[in-house]
Amino acid sequence: MSEKPLSRFHQPIAVPGRRLLHHIPLRFVRKKVSGGGQRSVNQEIPLIPFIDFLLCIVLFLLASFSASGELPIDKNVKLPNAENVIDMTDAPMVAITGTQILVDGTPAGNTRAIVEANRLQRVDELFNVLKNKRELWKQLNPGKDFGGVVVLQVDRKVEALVVKSVFQTAAFAGYPNVSFMVGRLGGEGG
Amino acid sequence: MAGIDVGGHGGKRSTNHEIPLIPFIDFLLCLVAFLLVTAVWSQMARINADARVPGPPKDEPPEEIKKEKQLHVEMKGETKFQLIWKEGNTVVNTIDVERKKVPVGKDGDVRYPDLAKKIVEEWGQNGSHRGDIKDDKKFDQAVLHTDNSTPFSDVIAVIDAIYTPKRDCSVCERGKTTKMPGFNVTFSVN
Repeated sequence: MSEKPLSRFHQPIAVPGRRLLHHIPLRFVRKKVSGGGQRSVNQEIPLIPFIDFLLCIVLFLLASFSASGELPIDKNVKLPNAENVIDMTDAPMVAITGTQILVDGTPAGNTRAIVEANRLQRVDELFNVLKNKRELWKQLNPGKDFGGVVVLQVDRKVEALVVKSVFQTAAFAGYPNVSFMVGRLGGEGG
Repeated sequence: MAGIDVGGHGGKRSTNHEIPLIPFIDFLLCLVAFLLVTAVWSQMARINADARVPGPPKDEPPEEIKKEKQLHVEMKGETKFQLIWKEGNTVVNTIDVERKKVPVGKDGDVRYPDLAKKIVEEWGQNGSHRGDIKDDKKFDQAVLHTDNSTPFSDVIAVIDAIYTPKRDCSVCERGKTTKMPGFNVTFSVN
């Protein structure tokens, strides 16, 4: 572009062309910053697409935001994995870790008696805790149908005898819909 | 910086305003950081079972219930599974499936693909409830017989295989047809 003005008077309409950084008095600086025949070293950050991108991230994170927090998983429980699974649900959590049974983190019995007897039997403490939970739910939600869902968080090494005993105890306490908590092993959830 | 030029002069307050983009970007970045920190990336899911406990006794006589075929899965031997179709107490058909473990992942999980394949085949031939859940809310029943000493991870692997056959469900999620397991699993008490 020519650096000479078209006339000695102020031109309200200028010849189209580059304006930015072309009026720096020092010639060598002007040459450097305006490109000097090469590509300019000054680059503008495209702010608008950047804001669009940030807004998309914010919207995605807000959509997947869970105010209820993380699922309470006992550190000592190593869960098995499965493929044909369904999404988690909000229900009382019965964890079997070692010999201890916990309901929502509170101790509710022991598996030692089952192992020693070597036969299927009801865990009385667990039964009472679950029954109380059920009655409390019914008092808080009068007239509503009770789903009877309980989630079992069982370590992968626990014997089937213990699992069946806890399963049966939950059923007797009014929780016939028993789910086992597992890790998702690829594939599509049912 | 972005600005809005709406013209206007004449001694009044300027109507040209610049939107402060940089603080806005800072705010968005803070929001992204907060949401990322509090995000819950849970891989947990559940696998369902049903205790089928009879309800409280009623005065009126129970309805005549049509006996349906049930699939009993015996995992008592070390070398094979036994699939037994029963109608009430009558054995309709017995199939042996080789107990071939396939290790999956690093956690020591196993799968039984041969068993899953056979169950899909059998359900296709003998299953009574294979249509859309919208029209038929009942599920075929599978009963799992397991040794008391079987580890829970093996039990889950077999339940996972039983849940391999899938049926359509157009009422489970709004606006789309999803797949649900064809069977409902319960445990045998013996």
